[in-house]
Amino acid sequence: MGESSSKRKGILGELYDTFFSKSWPMWVGGILLGVGNIVLFIVLKPWGASGGVKNWGDNLFNLMGGDFANMGAVGQFPYSVLCIMLVLGALAGALFSKQFALRFPPLGELFKGLIGGLLMGLGAVVGVSCTIGGFFSGWPALSLGAVVFTAGLVVGTWLAVKYLLFEVQKFPKLSSGKTSSILDAGKGRGSWQPFAGAAVVLIGLIVAFRYTGTSSVLAWYASIGLYFGLVCQRSRFCVVRALREPFMSGSSKPAVAVMAGILVSMFGFVVIKFMGVRGDMIWVWPHFWVPAIVGGTIFGFGMTIAGGCTVGSLWRAGEGHIKLWASVFGMMVAMPFTAKYIKTPFFDALPASLKQQFFLPAKIGYGAAVGVFVLLILLWYVWVKWNERTGKFSAY
Amino acid sequence: MQGDLVLDCKGLSCPMPILKLAMAMKKLENGKVIEMYGTDPGSRDDVPAWCERTGHTLVEMLEVEDGFTFFIRCEK
Repeated sequence: MGESSSKRKGILGELYDTFFSKSWPMWVGGILLGVGNIVLFIVLKPWGASGGVKNWGDNLFNLMGGDFANMGAVGQFPYSVLCIMLVLGALAGALFSKQFALRFPPLGELFKGLIGGLLMGLGAVVGVSCTIGGFFSGWPALSLGAVVFTAGLVVGTWLAVKYLLFEVQKFPKLSSGKTSSILDAGKGRGSWQPFAGAAVVLIGLIVAFRYTGTSSVLAWYASIGLYFGLVCQRSRFCVVRALREPFMSGSSKPAVAVMAGILVSMFGFVVIKFMGVRGDMIWVWPHFWVPAIVGGTIFGFGMTIAGGCTVGSLWRAGEGHIKLWASVFGMMVAMPFTAKYIKTPFFDALPASLKQQFFLPAKIGYGAAVGVFVLLILLWYVWVKWNERTGKFSAY
Repeated sequence: MQGDLVLDCKGLSCPMPILKLAMAMKKLENGKVIEMYGTDPGSRDDVPAWCERTGHTLVEMLEVEDGFTFFIRCEK
């Protein structure tokens, strides 16, 4: 954790402290992720998180003799590589700042992580999105389905906040009990962590480099994943907090961080799509509007119970929170099964008009579509700021 | 120093520490002090920020063996 500032540092030591002594403001993370998302789109496609974890689950259950989707081996599917490297990047960030420890929560919390993960997996497949694909990247892609998915996220989050308040008052035992942490950097014990962090980064870079021989896309996805994980951990970037805090503490900072990232990405995405560098319909999912609202609500409830969306769970897993390991495991289990047994009958039952890919510029042109999204973000900003001052929707 | 009420949030991750703190604070009398333990790195920023927003006083924050100890005085 923090070094004493009275000790005079060398020039490089000061540089190190700039990055790893204190957490970065979350909006810095939002902007850095927003830029990274544009780079990712230039390499192949925008950022998405749940697809990678689904691939882990598919591979796991296929290995056990199941017959699930085959999007490629864990090391060959770009989004799976991205997710693995994101965990490594977060691990490195935590180690560099001596914040890594395996933190075992009370049993009730572990259970909530698992349930939250299972619900997220269900919601992500039914809604064809998560907080990244259907929100952080979906809005910049100018998909109207992403707005509906986000509305679902808000409803689910609000419901889960009600539940959490109820739980803490009526069943405080669920979140208390025996806990432990190991490998932590308690007083004088953590000097090994920055060295381990350097080793993790080195391993990550070697992995990325090894892909250059076969696939430059995978090499870039690996590098960007590492960068995303580091940024997420250092800025504690969290979409759950952005949507949840207005209903809890009232803080607007996480929401503003997400807005910053979305706006930055939108700038790049619109140019990429408008200029025809990549297809219009990329990251415009066929979920407008029924799958989006159903999946978004379930996902929003799950992520709030778990205390992290897909990405939030991944980077906190890298930081060593065992509760979020349970959440990631829950997603790995729920997604393959939902895709195989629930998604098809659900989508078959819906008429085409209720599961559209709705690319807003196709109806009203690019200028107006961008205007609509910027206006939505402005309204959201005014609401979170007004709520922060008045506490109208906040629990405490 | 010693708190009037001990709140053990070790092993908990966001949002549980602040949620428990807020609920405990609601029941506390003015001037009493909560002694809170936590291990989530996020608490290092979250607890001071929450105190500032709600007007409770963060009397002291200690980095201890496996995390943090906060002393927070209830201001009503």
